[in-house]
Amino acid sequence: MILAVDNLCKSYGDLVAVDRVSFSVRRQEIFGILGPNGAGKTSTLEMIETLRPIDSGTVTLDGLDVRRHPRQVQQRIGVQLQSTSFFEKLNLRELLLLLGELYGRVVDPLELLGDVDLQDRAKAQVEQLSGGQQQRFSVAAALVNDPLLIFLDEPTTGLDPQARRHLWGVIRRIRSEGKTVVLTTHYMEEAEELCDRVAIMDRGRIVADAPPQKLIGNLLASGFKKERVERLANLEDVFLHLTGHALQEE
Amino acid sequence: MRLQWKLTVASLKMFTRQKEAIIWTMLLPLFMVFLFGFVSFEGLGTVQIGVAGGKAEPAGGLVGRLGEVQTVRVTRGTESSELEQLKAGRRHLVLVLPEQFHAASGKELRVLVNDGTPEETQLGLLILRKVLDDETFRMHRAPGRVPMTLQSVASRRSSYIDFLLPGVLSLAIMQSGIFGVAFGFVALRKRGVLRRLSVTPMRPQDFIAAQVAMRLMVLLAQIVVLVGVGIVFFDLQFLGSLLDLFAMGLLGGAVFLAIGFFLAGIARTEDQVVPLANVVSLPMMLLSGVFFSRSNLPEPVRLVTEFFPLTYLADGMRSIVLEGSTLPTLWLQLAGLALWSIVSVWAAVKVFRWE
Repeated sequence: MILAVDNLCKSYGDLVAVDRVSFSVRRQEIFGILGPNGAGKTSTLEMIETLRPIDSGTVTLDGLDVRRHPRQVQQRIGVQLQSTSFFEKLNLRELLLLLGELYGRVVDPLELLGDVDLQDRAKAQVEQLSGGQQQRFSVAAALVNDPLLIFLDEPTTGLDPQARRHLWGVIRRIRSEGKTVVLTTHYMEEAEELCDRVAIMDRGRIVADAPPQKLIGNLLASGFKKERVERLANLEDVFLHLTGHALQEE
Repeated sequence: MRLQWKLTVASLKMFTRQKEAIIWTMLLPLFMVFLFGFVSFEGLGTVQIGVAGGKAEPAGGLVGRLGEVQTVRVTRGTESSELEQLKAGRRHLVLVLPEQFHAASGKELRVLVNDGTPEETQLGLLILRKVLDDETFRMHRAPGRVPMTLQSVASRRSSYIDFLLPGVLSLAIMQSGIFGVAFGFVALRKRGVLRRLSVTPMRPQDFIAAQVAMRLMVLLAQIVVLVGVGIVFFDLQFLGSLLDLFAMGLLGGAVFLAIGFFLAGIARTEDQVVPLANVVSLPMMLLSGVFFSRSNLPEPVRLVTEFFPLTYLADGMRSIVLEGSTLPTLWLQLAGLALWSIVSVWAAVKVFRWE
C-alpha cells in the first residue's frame, strides 16, 4: 500500500467539501477518483499533496504521515494541478531543468519530454503548445523528481478525444515504468478504460470503491438492465476512424 | 546556494526576454533624460544668496530685507563654508559683510559671484542693489550708493542634465522596484505559478531571495547604462565613484523592492496593483527633487518631502555624481534609507501572502 487515506475531512465554513473519505492505493496502480464537479475530488487531492491543511483524518504516503512530514512527502510525489501555469518566457527544456533544481536534481529534459512525446518541442514555450501538449507537458513537469506517486487532477478535461487518448497512452506508460498514478476525472469512459480501480465520489463522500469491471458486474448481478441496447459503435469511434490513429498527435 | 543561483539565473532570463521589462527599466528613463535634457527647464528658480560675517548687524537690516524678497533664499554661514557652497554651485551670490555693516555705514560690501549661473547672478545683483538703495534712502532720506566690490568665483559648471540624470536614475530604481515586483509577483500568484511551486520542496524564501537578487542585478545594469549614456551623450560630469553609486543604489533598491513586496501582499489582482503603486510612487516622483529642485517647494511641503525614501536616494546619488561625495559624508541619506528599508521589510513580511 503506497497511499492510505483515513477519515479525511474538509469544510469551508458551512460547506462540508470532503466528508470522512477513506481509500487506499496500491503500488503501480492507476487509481481514479470519479465524480461530478464540486464532489470534493480536488480538495481531497490537495490535502494529500500538502497544498491544503487537513481538517481531520490522516493521510499516510509511503509510510509517512503527510501532516507531520510534508517536505519528505513532497520529495516523493509529482503533482499536476488542475489549471497549471508555468513561468513565462522559459522554454520547456529550461522549465524542466529549473523544476528539477527545486528538488536538488539535475534532470535530463529530453528524456522527460520523450516520456510524454514532446521531445521535438524542447525549445517551445508553454503558451505555444496546444491544449493536449500543455497537459502532457505538465505531466512531464510532475515527473522531474522521479516520484513514486503522481497526482493528476482532471488531466483530460477540455481535451478533444484524440488528445485524451494520447494522454491515456502516456499515463499507462508511466505506470509501466513502476510509478503509481492517482487521477481525478468526471469522464465515465476514462475511468472505465484507464483506471485499475475507481472510487466514485459524490457530495464529499466516497460511495463505491472497486475495479470498474467489478462495479459494472455488481450492478448487472443486482438485476440491472440498461433500457436501450448498446450500439456497437458511437460517434467518437466514427471520428477516430475518419481522422486517423488515436495515438497520433492532434 | 546552488538553488538560489539557478533560480536567479532563470529569473534573469525571464526578465530579459520580456520586452516590456527592458522598456520600463532602461528605455523609459533614457527617454526621460533625452526629453528633459534637450528641453531646457533651467529657467529662473530661486536665487540662492549666502551671507557671511556682519554678526552685529542691526535687526531688520539688509539680510532681513533680502530674505523678504520672494525669489531669494538667504542662508547664513562662514565665509569659507559659503565659498564652498558657491563653488559647488549651490549659491549664486555670497555677501561678505564687514563688522557693524549697515546701508549707511559707508563700509564696503564684498560680493562673491557665481560664474556659472549668469542669469540668477544678475538677478540676484539687481535685487541686492535695489534693497541696498532702498535701505540707504530710508536711513538718509536721500539716495546714496553702498560701495560694492564684485569678485568672480569659478563654480563647477552644472547643467540641468547633471542635476537631472542622477534623479532619473533614482526614479528608475524606484519604479522597477515597486512596479516590477508588485506587478510581477501578483501575476505569478494569480496565474497559479506560486501554487505549483508550493508542491515542490522549494522554500518561499529561496524564491524571494532569487527575485531580489535578480532585481538588484538589473538595478546595477540601470546605473551603468544611465551613467554611461550621460557621460557619452550629455557630457555628464561624473565626479564620484561608481562603487559608491552602486552601494547607494542597492540600499535604495532594497527599500523599493520591499515596498513592491508590501504592495503585492495587500493587492489581490494585477488591477489593484497599479493604482496602489501609483499612490505610493507619484508623490515621490513629483516632489522628491527628481526633475526640479525641492528648494522651490513651499516650506511645509519641502519639509515633508525631506523624509521620502526617493529624496534620500536622489540626493545621495546626485551628491555622488555631481560633487564626488563619498559614502561617509552621505550618512544622513544612508541612515534615512536604512531606516526606510527596515520599516518596509517589516511591513512586507507582515502582509506577505504566497497564495
